[in-house]
Amino acid sequence: MDPVTAMYVAQGIHGLAYGMILFLVASGLTLIFGMMGILNLAHASFFMLSAYISYTVLQVTGNFWLALLIAPVVSAVIGILMERFLLRRVHASGHIGELILTVGVALVILESVKVFWGTENLPLPVPEFLQGLVSVAGLEYPIYRLFIIALALVLLAILTVILYKTRLGMVVRAAVSDADMVNALGVNVPLVFMAVFGIGTWMAGIAGVAIAPILTVFPGLADQMGMDAFMVVVTGGFGSLGGAFLVSTIFGLLSSYGVQFVSALAPVLMFIFMAIVLVIKPMGLFGERE
Amino acid sequence: MKKTVQWIILAVAAGILMFFPALFGIYFTNVFLTFVIFALFATTLNLLLGFTGLLSFGHAMFFGVGGYGTAIALERIEGLPLILAVLIGVMAAVALALILCPIMVRVSGTAFAMLHLAFGQLIYVLALKLRDITGGEDGIGGFDIPPFSIPGVVSVDMTDPSNFYYFGMIVLVGSLAILWFFTKTPFGSIMVGIRDNANRVDYMGFKVPQSKAVIYLFAGGFAGVAGSIYALFQNLISASDAFHILVSFVPVMMTMVGGIGSFFGPVVGAGIFGILEELTSRYTEQVELVMGLILILVIMYAPMGFLGIVQILKEKWFGKMSQQAGAEEAS
Amino acid sequence: MKSTKMIFSAIIAICCFCLVAVPQTLAVNDAFDPGKMADMSDFDPSNPVTPSGDTIKIAIVASFSGPAAFVGEIFYAPVLWAAHDINKRGGIMVDGKRKKVQVIRADHMSQVPQAKKITERMVLQEKVDVLWGTNGSHLMKVINQVAKKYKTIAQCTAALSDDLYDHKNFTRYSFMTSFQTDQIGRAAAYYYGQIRKKEKKFYILCQDYLFGHAMANGFKKGLKQYFPEAEIVGEDYHKLFLTDFAPYLTKIKASGAEVVYTGDWIPDAANLAKQARQMGMMLPFAHTFLDEPNFLHEVGIEGTKGLIQIGQYATTNPNFKNAGQIMVYRAWNNLWKNKWTKPFNTYTFKHGPGGGNIGSYMMQTYWLLSVIERAGSTDPEKIIKTWEGDTYQLLNGKVMTMRAVDHKAIQDLHAIEYVPPEEQKVNFNIEPYRWYDGCSGGGPVSRIPADKIMPLLDPELKR
Repeated sequence: MDPVTAMYVAQGIHGLAYGMILFLVASGLTLIFGMMGILNLAHASFFMLSAYISYTVLQVTGNFWLALLIAPVVSAVIGILMERFLLRRVHASGHIGELILTVGVALVILESVKVFWGTENLPLPVPEFLQGLVSVAGLEYPIYRLFIIALALVLLAILTVILYKTRLGMVVRAAVSDADMVNALGVNVPLVFMAVFGIGTWMAGIAGVAIAPILTVFPGLADQMGMDAFMVVVTGGFGSLGGAFLVSTIFGLLSSYGVQFVSALAPVLMFIFMAIVLVIKPMGLFGERE
Repeated sequence: MKKTVQWIILAVAAGILMFFPALFGIYFTNVFLTFVIFALFATTLNLLLGFTGLLSFGHAMFFGVGGYGTAIALERIEGLPLILAVLIGVMAAVALALILCPIMVRVSGTAFAMLHLAFGQLIYVLALKLRDITGGEDGIGGFDIPPFSIPGVVSVDMTDPSNFYYFGMIVLVGSLAILWFFTKTPFGSIMVGIRDNANRVDYMGFKVPQSKAVIYLFAGGFAGVAGSIYALFQNLISASDAFHILVSFVPVMMTMVGGIGSFFGPVVGAGIFGILEELTSRYTEQVELVMGLILILVIMYAPMGFLGIVQILKEKWFGKMSQQAGAEEAS
Repeated sequence: MKSTKMIFSAIIAICCFCLVAVPQTLAVNDAFDPGKMADMSDFDPSNPVTPSGDTIKIAIVASFSGPAAFVGEIFYAPVLWAAHDINKRGGIMVDGKRKKVQVIRADHMSQVPQAKKITERMVLQEKVDVLWGTNGSHLMKVINQVAKKYKTIAQCTAALSDDLYDHKNFTRYSFMTSFQTDQIGRAAAYYYGQIRKKEKKFYILCQDYLFGHAMANGFKKGLKQYFPEAEIVGEDYHKLFLTDFAPYLTKIKASGAEVVYTGDWIPDAANLAKQARQMGMMLPFAHTFLDEPNFLHEVGIEGTKGLIQIGQYATTNPNFKNAGQIMVYRAWNNLWKNKWTKPFNTYTFKHGPGGGNIGSYMMQTYWLLSVIERAGSTDPEKIIKTWEGDTYQLLNGKVMTMRAVDHKAIQDLHAIEYVPPEEQKVNFNIEPYRWYDGCSGGGPVSRIPADKIMPLLDPELKR
């Protein structure tokens, strides 16, 4: 491959990889905000919290897989507690109640992170066995980014199976469209919602551990990723996993080819795309419900 | 008897406002003016949220455009009078509202919120990107604040904090008064009607989209007033003060904390936020923790806000509900 | 005969020495004297000794909360050190009274409205004498506005933008003792064109806001002046707090650049370099803020080798030139190792007055205190009179001059090449002969003379 073609191909892969990074963070939010309709502005905070926890696990054990296992679970437990004891009680106040509550939780998480880990920039290196590059047809690509793409695809598969092939998924989809009816059928809807919220924060946690090695772990990490993930869900359409996946990829490609061809406008492209989509379809590309 | 007490309280309040700079010094005068700016900003949001039932996640764009309009005008046009500078800011906000309202009046609920999020963020990145116009991240600052002058009559130096206080207060309190009367017109009832049952408003012969558009223009335009005064007051407006998503959330939170039901809820909310900020920044460096906990506690235990608590206490103590407040109670 | 000749030549030698050395020592109005430094063994930034009564008050206006909270601590420790030292010496004689120095933390939370509010509170309620700051030029602009309005001295120690002191923003109450964006860019160009003379192809990647563009413009201007045969093979400005640098890095790779010049600060700078190394790109960065030790360790020795830093507090090799300098460094480093607690015992604070930004903040504060002492007053007018045109020699021998016309510091800068630990002894010439074990650090140092990189002077500024 000649260098110019290699550059264009590389930008394409960068776009896909960044799209998957976005999808990793957004997938959990798709469940929580998109499916359950809970406006959770603390989602990215769980992403950050998990990155911090994985830092500590890595410090203690030195094992990346252990960090990938423990940190998301701890985040999910905290997420479940938040759903059970806080979010559930403000349901009556609708989106505004959720907005205020989750902004409050995000601030508390931010402060806790500073108390436990300090305000320094913490390093979280790429695990040794995922370092280095693979070379295909003259094109070199970092293994770790391929790992992120794979991880995102695995999560997408798991989610698809849960939502569309299991009884839990059926109940979730039913409960989202008509909670009272499902409740009347004898299903414990609050429990289902709690479980879904748990899975959502768990996925934010996975994203936190996976993405931390290419970024710096610092108290601003949540802000850095939060808005982009939120945009993915909104643009993709409420309740649409496929929409989130597609939009993540489009955002990723807009970002990498944007830098390549119209560098000065690169960061604006995503927002223009979002605005156009919402003007035409206010509920997002694949929005299923109001 | 009761009326007399009310008049006395009103007179004392007016007196305090009149002599605020002399009574409390420059520092608290500036703190107070900041509070009034945000009180107006939150009130314009409440026009949409509390009265019309439209939740916006992008209200900052009107505030910001108002501020930028004034700042850019003062930076580019030499010898521009103060009032004109404010008007340019307000017109910019109204223009933005005019552009957006054909899109926005079609939708409500989550879609309304998300469309505002989208456009709010788009304008934010544009403000960051178009450095030649907006000054990017650093914003526009240090522009000359012209004196308030009526040719041949007076010329008052606006760089003096207490002079600016009077100017700001006249504009802001005047705006609040206009909005208050606006909610008392038949339009006020239409707003509440749209919120409670849009179809009924339609049956009654009022055109819902057109009515929404008028409300939207008012909310946007007066948010622009708040933004314009803010830019003059800070002598600086930058992308993140103007358009950051938190700037859109703040009035929502103020409205909620103060009490979403009534006209003065957001004003009270802005006051509570002002006092909290002042106290937390004095006594702790854990500002986020304190703010976070307060937000959680408010929404958990007082979801109807401060005025809601007052209402409940009133009922408890006096055993009856004040008719006036009942009419205003909107949630 | 022979002895007379010897005496004669000795006298000539001494005279020559005087001609060279004496003017240098005479040229400065004051110098930091390590011999006068108090016993600092009781100093602990976590438990500051706050003097009571009538004090000279310095407010550090910086972010002590929010995402950039750590920056506030980075300022706090060295300023407090200087205050503690002066207080143990008995304070400063001002306006006929001996006063101690009080340091107040003023949190601007990185937000403009809060910056204005807190600065006004410091001036109007705490009645501080000096506003010291800050991270962010837009916030420094607010501080300078307040300083101008209420006639209070401000010291710009960390916001590097030149336009803070142009004809529009200049205020005679504010002094810029830090280095400046335009100057840094020209210094880097001077180093590559006049000293190093190796790489010729440069790629500019900076943050897309005033600071980043100013850093880039300085470099471009410098290349034109000092390195006309150099080639800028690409130029990009990325948004702040960018997540993914890969698309930019791919462009850089394709451009054939030999050096990437960046004005980025942490975390952007760290993420940029880190992601470059992850993608197998080992090309060097010319930088100013890529010296964060946690990041350096994470990327490791190989990844950090060859970085070129334009530093504001450095000196030609060897770094430690005399016993006094070593004594001050050891005093700090021992306390760091044995006494201090979080966050002051972290890597970032390790070297303090040994070099780098913390050392610079400390020295800038000593300069301020020296000016107040020589003015004999906290009266802003007297301070302005003393500071304008003043010269001060820092601990490491570097001389700072305050240009009277626009209040910008004239100073040498240094280009520091990062080398592996075992090669660092040319620079770090005392035990343990290296800055860090796990990453590259200061090795060869080149001086960029002050007269080649004079601070930008706005021609429209008329005083």
